[in-house]
Amino acid sequence: MSQPPARRWRVSRRGFLIGAGVVGGGLALGATLGLPWLRLALADVVDGAAPPTIVTTDPAFWFEIAADGRVRLAMPKVEMGQGIHTALAQIAAEELELAWEQIEVVPSSSAGPVADNFGTNASNSVASLFAPLRETAATMRELLRAEAADRLGVAPAALRVANGAFFVADDPERRLSYGELAADAARREVPAEPPVLKPSTAWTLIGASVPRVDLPAKIRGAATYGYDARAEGMLYGAVARPPSLGATLRRAAPGEAARRPGVVAVVAERDFAGVAAESRSAAAAAVRAMDLEWTEGPPLQQEQIDARVRAVPGRGVVIQRAGNAAAALRGPGVITAEYRTPMAAHAHLEPQAALVDVRPDRVLARVSTQYPLGTAQAIARALGRDARTVEVVPTYLGGGFGRRMVSEVAVEAARLSAAAGRPVHVGWSRAEEFHHGFVRPPTHHVLRAALGPDGRIVALEHSQASGGVIFPFIPAPLRALFGADFGAWRGACISYAVPHISVSAEHVPLPIATGAWRGLGLLANIFAIESFIDELAHIAGADPLAFRIAHTGDDEHGRRLRAVLTTVAERAGWGTPAPAGRARGVACSIDAGTVVAHIAEVSRKPEGGVRVHTVWAVVDPGLPINPDGVAAQTEGNICMGLSSVLFERLSVRNGRIAADNFGAYPLLTMRDAPAIEVTVLRSGDVPYGAGEPPMGPIGAAVANAVFALTGQRLRELPLTEV
Amino acid sequence: MMEQSVNLVINGQTYQVAKDPPRVLLWVLRDELGLTGTKFGCGAGYCGACTVHLDGVAVRSCQVPVSRVAGRAVTTIEGLARGEELHPVQRAFLEAQTPQCGWCMSGQMMTATALIAANPRPSEEEIIAAMDGNYCRCGAYARIRRAVARAAALARAATEAV
Repeated sequence: MSQPPARRWRVSRRGFLIGAGVVGGGLALGATLGLPWLRLALADVVDGAAPPTIVTTDPAFWFEIAADGRVRLAMPKVEMGQGIHTALAQIAAEELELAWEQIEVVPSSSAGPVADNFGTNASNSVASLFAPLRETAATMRELLRAEAADRLGVAPAALRVANGAFFVADDPERRLSYGELAADAARREVPAEPPVLKPSTAWTLIGASVPRVDLPAKIRGAATYGYDARAEGMLYGAVARPPSLGATLRRAAPGEAARRPGVVAVVAERDFAGVAAESRSAAAAAVRAMDLEWTEGPPLQQEQIDARVRAVPGRGVVIQRAGNAAAALRGPGVITAEYRTPMAAHAHLEPQAALVDVRPDRVLARVSTQYPLGTAQAIARALGRDARTVEVVPTYLGGGFGRRMVSEVAVEAARLSAAAGRPVHVGWSRAEEFHHGFVRPPTHHVLRAALGPDGRIVALEHSQASGGVIFPFIPAPLRALFGADFGAWRGACISYAVPHISVSAEHVPLPIATGAWRGLGLLANIFAIESFIDELAHIAGADPLAFRIAHTGDDEHGRRLRAVLTTVAERAGWGTPAPAGRARGVACSIDAGTVVAHIAEVSRKPEGGVRVHTVWAVVDPGLPINPDGVAAQTEGNICMGLSSVLFERLSVRNGRIAADNFGAYPLLTMRDAPAIEVTVLRSGDVPYGAGEPPMGPIGAAVANAVFALTGQRLRELPLTEV
Repeated sequence: MMEQSVNLVINGQTYQVAKDPPRVLLWVLRDELGLTGTKFGCGAGYCGACTVHLDGVAVRSCQVPVSRVAGRAVTTIEGLARGEELHPVQRAFLEAQTPQCGWCMSGQMMTATALIAANPRPSEEEIIAAMDGNYCRCGAYARIRRAVARAAALARAATEAV
């Protein structure tokens, strides 16, 4: 694909390239999406012209049809439990007219066949790949159709296609399978005209709850994750860790480490100290025997961090504005409330892990990473190698949640492997997970509103402050360009029709590393906004659900919000009394194009604390590719969100994260997991994400239910003071 | 040499591993015997990802010194199915499309298997009591609960059919 000849590619209307080639005697077809995302808007400029020189020609995905008719789809996205391999295969098989069993997914590495420039994140995979994947698959189908028509001596229109074979419509015995057609079809030109896509009414796989392709191996314990990667002659690595937040290595020497049993290599450099040994325990013991001096960080306390995170109306970068909120919020009667959310750990159950083999001419790594290409570049930088000689193969991920967009562990394994001359596996301990890397930032929100005499919201202002989510990972000029951290303000905008709106976000640099956590700012921002909307409803004397519906707009989002709110009200029996000792709360959100409403039914535990009995969830992801997959993501988001909402608070004490393990940072368990009733709506033929949006309303739904139960308004997560 | 090694019987197969240095079953399974279906999550007995059976009882393999395992029967996730035939617990977990990332699932299924073997008709409260020590960060608890109840029914049906 490096320089496809002109007749071998086409620029699609959506700004991507489709090209064909021959691979191993079969047909291969790929599409190139590789527009750096900041330049996406420029793609339209070059649409239909010469292949744009600004784009990489690395394909974004790649199909191959083998002579036996099996179709392999190289996956640009990693599987971390969100079911993306299944969803993308469904989309491809649909347009290729394959029987489900005929398609096979293979992971792609940083070296190809597809190199994903973006990583797997932001509930973006299906939404971004749906159109190009369909068009590429349909192009492949039409190439095969043209070849079949020539070979069978009929017009292309006289052919029908099913289960990976073309046959003559009125003579079905005359048929050719994709496998028989592939090699010759590969020599044909890519049609200049875009193919006709299957109408949604003819879909059989898109919209079907197809079983996940990754589960048979996971059920048998046979799926390979980064922590499971093995190689002949491998060693295990351990790395010296700073004793406190912000501590730096002042001096590193091997000390006694090299004389320890099983030790093969000791690395003592200016910024890195570690050991490669024949076993994990030998490596860990040897690191403790190294002669290291650290410059300690300041004895940081949680209060110092929280004090910095303080939203002040009028101080942040305005990210949404309608009318003149400042003027409308002058004078008496303004309603104000403040909300806070704490730091949180990702707590993916598979700690970071990588197996890296550094050889003289190339580097091969297997890593549980959300970002194989970024990890390959990081290894190349650390070793001073050409990034093209580093290949990172993603394994299955034991949870990602944003933490694995950065995979330091791969760089650590690479440095140790370079010194040892053998493959090295590094797997973090749980304490390393808690103490190193980055955490979800704390947030603070000030909400202000004015109600009209009719009880409607006239003006609504949301000022939020947050530690960095995306900003810590992008260069300063880009930070200046964006002004506010768009990760932190995800979910911060107002989705209701209100005449005067002002939303502002303030990026707060913190003395602790913060970053992306599932949904980014979504859980915190929607907790604040939807709790406040509930407060306004009660002040207005309105039913909280009717109040929300009354403030939805006339646009598409408004229609979809009304639909999820109306549906969730029906499902939960909103308006009927809750069982004795229980109450219900509602909240909704729009995120990544997906509209969600939750109703939570809660009681107070005899020993204190909130019990969530049932959550009714209605999710409209536009077009659900796999409705059961959307339901599973919804259930998972609700539980992970509840864990955060009810229990989780990560704290810093004396310059260290206080928690070492789950004893000091317990997660939600089955006893506190509610019954979850999910309804998945389909509102159109365009899919949006499902991996994070269903988390949005859960905090406010529970807090609003607690208010309905006790009259107590909880404005800080976790909701422990009940 | 023999006195310096320990015989382990894992999934019906005998393995010989070194007696020293002292170490826990989890890492012997994973790093020495290549049985990576048993997962590491916390190393302190909190999360349950490393659950295996010791003489049919669910234990945290990160807390079991390998010296204590000599002569006892260890079952791991790799030993749950009989060849191609999945264990009723695996069938039920697959049927409910239970795993998401899957990292905790070996431990979930081993805990569930021990529960059902000891108590073929677990009530919902008994399921919760047995499964409560197994974390699932992806939050698949609703499906796990359903799958365990269904697995018990499948196991009873299999027993009655014999």
